[in-house]
Parts: sequence; C-alpha cells; structure tokens
Amino acid sequence: MTTTPLRRRGAVLAAALLSTALVLTACGDGDDEDDTGDATAETRSVTAENGTIEIPADPQRIVTIGNTTMPFIDLGGEPVGVTEASASELVSIPAEQKAAYEGAVNVGSEEIDLEKLASLEPDLILVQFHSSDWDEVGTQLESVAPTVYWGLDIEWKAFADAIAEAGNLTEGLNEQKAEFEEKVTGIQEEYGEIIDGTSFVDVSRGDWNDPGTFYIADIGCSEIARDDLGLDLPEAAEGEDPLAYTNLPFEQLSSLAEYDVITYPVDAEGHPTEPFQAVTQTSTWKALPAVTDGRALGVFCSGNNSYGPVLQYLDSLDSALASLQAKE
Amino acid sequence: MTLTDMEGAATLDTRVAAPVSHRRRRVVGLAAALVALMVLTVLSVMVGSKAIPVAVIWDALFDPSPDADQFAVRDYRLPRTIVGLAVGIALGLSGALIQALTRNPLADPGILGVHAGASFAVTLAVGWLGVRDIQGYMWFAFAGALLVTLMVLALGATRQGSSPVVMVLAGVCLGAVLGGAREALQLTDPEAFDAMRNWNAGSIAGRPLELLWPILPFFALALVLTFVVAGPLNAMALGDELAAAQGVQLARTRVLAIIALTLLAGGATAIAGPIGFVGLMVPHVARWIVGPHQRWIFAYSLLLAPSLLLVSDILGRVVLRPGEIQVGIVTAFVGAPVLIALVRRKKASGL
Repeated sequence: MTTTPLRRRGAVLAAALLSTALVLTACGDGDDEDDTGDATAETRSVTAENGTIEIPADPQRIVTIGNTTMPFIDLGGEPVGVTEASASELVSIPAEQKAAYEGAVNVGSEEIDLEKLASLEPDLILVQFHSSDWDEVGTQLESVAPTVYWGLDIEWKAFADAIAEAGNLTEGLNEQKAEFEEKVTGIQEEYGEIIDGTSFVDVSRGDWNDPGTFYIADIGCSEIARDDLGLDLPEAAEGEDPLAYTNLPFEQLSSLAEYDVITYPVDAEGHPTEPFQAVTQTSTWKALPAVTDGRALGVFCSGNNSYGPVLQYLDSLDSALASLQAKE
Repeated sequence: MTLTDMEGAATLDTRVAAPVSHRRRRVVGLAAALVALMVLTVLSVMVGSKAIPVAVIWDALFDPSPDADQFAVRDYRLPRTIVGLAVGIALGLSGALIQALTRNPLADPGILGVHAGASFAVTLAVGWLGVRDIQGYMWFAFAGALLVTLMVLALGATRQGSSPVVMVLAGVCLGAVLGGAREALQLTDPEAFDAMRNWNAGSIAGRPLELLWPILPFFALALVLTFVVAGPLNAMALGDELAAAQGVQLARTRVLAIIALTLLAGGATAIAGPIGFVGLMVPHVARWIVGPHQRWIFAYSLLLAPSLLLVSDILGRVVLRPGEIQVGIVTAFVGAPVLIALVRRKKASGL
C-alpha cells in the first residue's frame, strides 16, 4: 500500500493556533501574481511554498489536501477528492458547501491513499499542512499531478487569494472580499463610538488547556476584530509570543476586571463552548463586573482560515456589539 | 545480603543504645520540619500567579465576601494547597514504604508499576471512552494502579512466600509492557494524548476538593497500615531469616505494606498524575536524618514530602508569571540539587 502518514489533526490544531503567528512574514504571498498574462496558453504558473508551478489554466479535477479543503469549498470550488475535514469544520457550513464536501471522494483522514488519489486523475492538487508532512509526501503528490503547497504560517487572506488564484475561483473570492469589506465598514460605522471608547478582551479555553487554566485570545478571530475593525483588544508586545500561548491560572480571571467588555467563545446555538464552561462555572467569573453587568458577550467563531467562517464571526460580533449599544 | 545484614545489625545495636540526646535531636528535627511545612502551607495560600494583597487573603478566609480575588483564594489556592499536602504525604510515605520493603534505596513507588498502571488506565479512558476531564479519569487511574499492584502481588507470590525481588521484577516488566501499550494507543490518537498531557506532567492545580474527599478514606486506611507495618519492616531490614526468628510474619507484612503503598501512590497519582522524585528523594533525606528506624523515617517523610511538593508548586507559580509550570516538572529541579548535595556530603545510607 502506498499510504503515507498525514498529521492532519495536529495540523488543524496547529493551524488554528499558529497560522497567524507569522502573519507579517507571510504578507503578500501570491497576491501579486498575474494569471491573465498567458491566457491563450494551456497552462499558467503560480508561485507557492514549493516554488513556481505550471498548472492548467482552468483546472477541472482538483483534489484538496489538509487545510485547503474547506477554504476551497468556501470559495465555491467543487473538489473531486478531499482529505477528511474535522467535525468542527463541518458543523456550521452552508448546505451547498456540505454537499460539495460530501460529493468528493475521500482520499484519507490520517493517511493519504495515494492510489485512490491517482485513480481520480486530478489535474491539480492543493495542499496545506505541516512542512514535515510535506517533506514526506510532497514529491509523491507532485508525481501524480501539478501540486501547489502552502505551509501553516500563511495569513488567511493571502491564503484565500492564493487558493482562488490556483483554483481559478477569483469570482467567488471577489464576492467574499466585497462582503467582508462591507461588513467591516458597516460595523465600524454603526458602533464607532463603542469601538473608540471601550476596552475589550477576548478570553478562551480549549480542551488542550490544563485544568484550571484559560488564555487571552489575541490570535484567531479576535485578531480580525483588532486589526480590521479597530477594537481595543490586548496584543502581545512586538517580538513576543502571542498572549494565547500562556495558560493563565483561573485566579488571573479576576484581573479581567480592568476591561470594559469580555468576549468569550460560544457554539452556533450561543452556549459557551464545552471547554470554556469550566470558566463560566467559576465563582470568580460570575463575580466579574463585566459578567454581572451583562458586558460579557459570547461570540461564535468556527474558524479563521477563510472568508466564510470569518463573515459568520463578524455577524456574531455585530450582534454582540448591538447588545452593548442597547445597554447604553 | 550478608554484609548489609551485619551493617543493619550494627546500626540496630547503636540505636538501642542511643543516648537520650539522639532521641531529642530527632524530636527537635521533627518539630522544625513541622514548622517548615506550616510556613510553606501559609506561603502556598499567599503566593500565586496574581498578586493578591494579604488583607484580601485574610478576608477571603475569615471574613468572606463575594469578591473575585477572594474567590481566587478560596476556590483555587486553598484547595490546591490542601491537595498538595495530601498528595505530598501520600507520595512520601509510599516512597518510604517501597524502599523499606525492597531494602533498596533506589526504589520508588513506580517500581511496582503503579504509575504505569495508572497512566495506561487513563490513556484507555481518554482514548477509547472519550473521558475528557480529571473527575472522570481519576478513578481509572486509581483502579489501574490497584489492578497492576494486584497482578504484581500475584506474580510475586508464585515462589514460596512472596519475594520482593520477584515482585520488583514483575513490576518492572508489567510497567514496560503497559508503557509500550500506552504509547501505541497515544500514537494512534494524538488528540487524546493532547488532552492528557497535563495529567502526565503531574500537577495539583485545578483540582477541586471534591476530587480529594473520596480518596481521603483510602489514604487514612493506608496511613494506619503504614504504622502497623513499621515495626515488622524494621526487623525485616535485618534480613528475612532474622525477622522471621523475631516472630515477624513476612508475607503478611509485605502484603499489608504493598496495599498501603498502592493506596497512597495510586491515590496521589489519580489526583495529580505521575509525580516522580518526591517518593524517591524524601525517604532518603529522612533516613539520613534519623537513621534506619522506620517509624521515624515515616514520620519525617510525612512532613518533608509535602514540604518539597509545596515549595516546588510555589516556585512553579512564580518563575513564569503569569503562567505556571506543573509541579511534577519542578520537583525534580528543586529536589535533585538537594539530593546531590546530600550524596556528596555523606555516604549514601544503606538499608
């Protein structure tokens, strides 16, 4: 069997935690490519982490591997083959995206089945996962079809640009970008006063966190709130690790009193996520002024790897801010 | 064993003839250890990731009100300190027991496979049954530790009577087998492994007192057993034949001692995860202070082990402020230099 291990679960987790750590270095990846230059030719070239690759001008049979699957489908793509997505990625996507995912052939979850992959006769393979996984399977994938590979440290917007370019989905991308801009401007106009005069903190807790600890989420969705919307959210000092890397003991919950508003993770139904319930059940949390005043707001973030989940996040943040405005 | 027996006999003689001042020194030392433990207990409530004023801590304990900082003291620091005391006592005593039982100063409770059994059971619970919180897998750890010890006892009892050598060998073998099986399971389910990483490191943080209460009766029973077997273990330090000649029931003593140390080490591991080194080092230090007298060794271990655990935990809270290091990682850093200093100062104590 020509199967090759793929640490995809680890990669998903790492992506959620780490992908934004090197945002600055990843800026501009792939978005300055010009793919209209040789439209008459059968192929065009794109540049990614594995170099400049000649790919079909209009690829039809695309296989997505690792973290490319959901962003590709989110852009309106319909892959012929995918690696298994995690349950949390699938829980809140639109029906047509779920259909696109389920319509594709599963070429592996923990491992990629290279024979199955080859039998799909793909004309393009899109890959994002850990570089150690790429080192193991990269050349094998490249021998099946033109393969475009990105590492985990590419920023989400650049990643969406790059996938859209490689998969010839710029139309879907432009729609999403426009929607994103519109939502950002809408929120900034509607809640300008709150955004200017309020200090926010986003706290979270994952099931990987030690018992009795939480973290300040300065990476992930709240990074969009800070950098794109301009919310006053804490940020690690230049050159330091993100705050989210430090597991804070619960006794530090009382220091959250210095912020006007606390946001915390909830599921699609608006309940605190299961790992975070350990925090909301503490007396310290319940005694926080923001919590007693109703200024602790649940925000839903299912991912920050493509525009679809980010737009959902912005909607959720929108209603959280609306509830703040209603109080004033 | 003959040489050790003779040394043991010689020490026993000096102990019998020990002057009163020798006994007084032990008592004074014990009192000093108790004071140190009390100071550390107070420090453990006062020092933490967040700087909370002493007045607030005082109010939290004696004049409670619903204030976030006061909750922090009552809900996290106090339970953590109490759990640290209980786990420390259990680890120290179980270490003293296994060293006396095997007549091996390098033995720690893990040598009978207690840690391996607990870790394997927790891995099963997390990986197969999807248990995710400490409340759930604590009982798996305890049951795993007890089951493995029962197997070790059964394997060790195959010869005439029960032989500590066979039991240790059985423990080491079972530990290796279970360790391999555990790693295989963890490799197939990295997510589950991630969830139990903290338990594996050994920590007393985030354990509510409700976790401790059900374990305490087991600790109490083990404590009684420990002091019951202290006398016979003293005699057994002279060698099995001499002990038997003195009327010690070897098999019964060993079984009781193993039950006691498994309850102690298994309970401690269930709550805190596998914390190494405390059970190895503390009885050593105790033996240097008091000589080969089990009751005194047990009494000193009872006070010194929680001290080591608390001082390590306090350090773990402050060195990476506002984050923390698990106590299981710190104990070795704190304990190893002490042990090395003692080893260099004196010749290692025999048993």
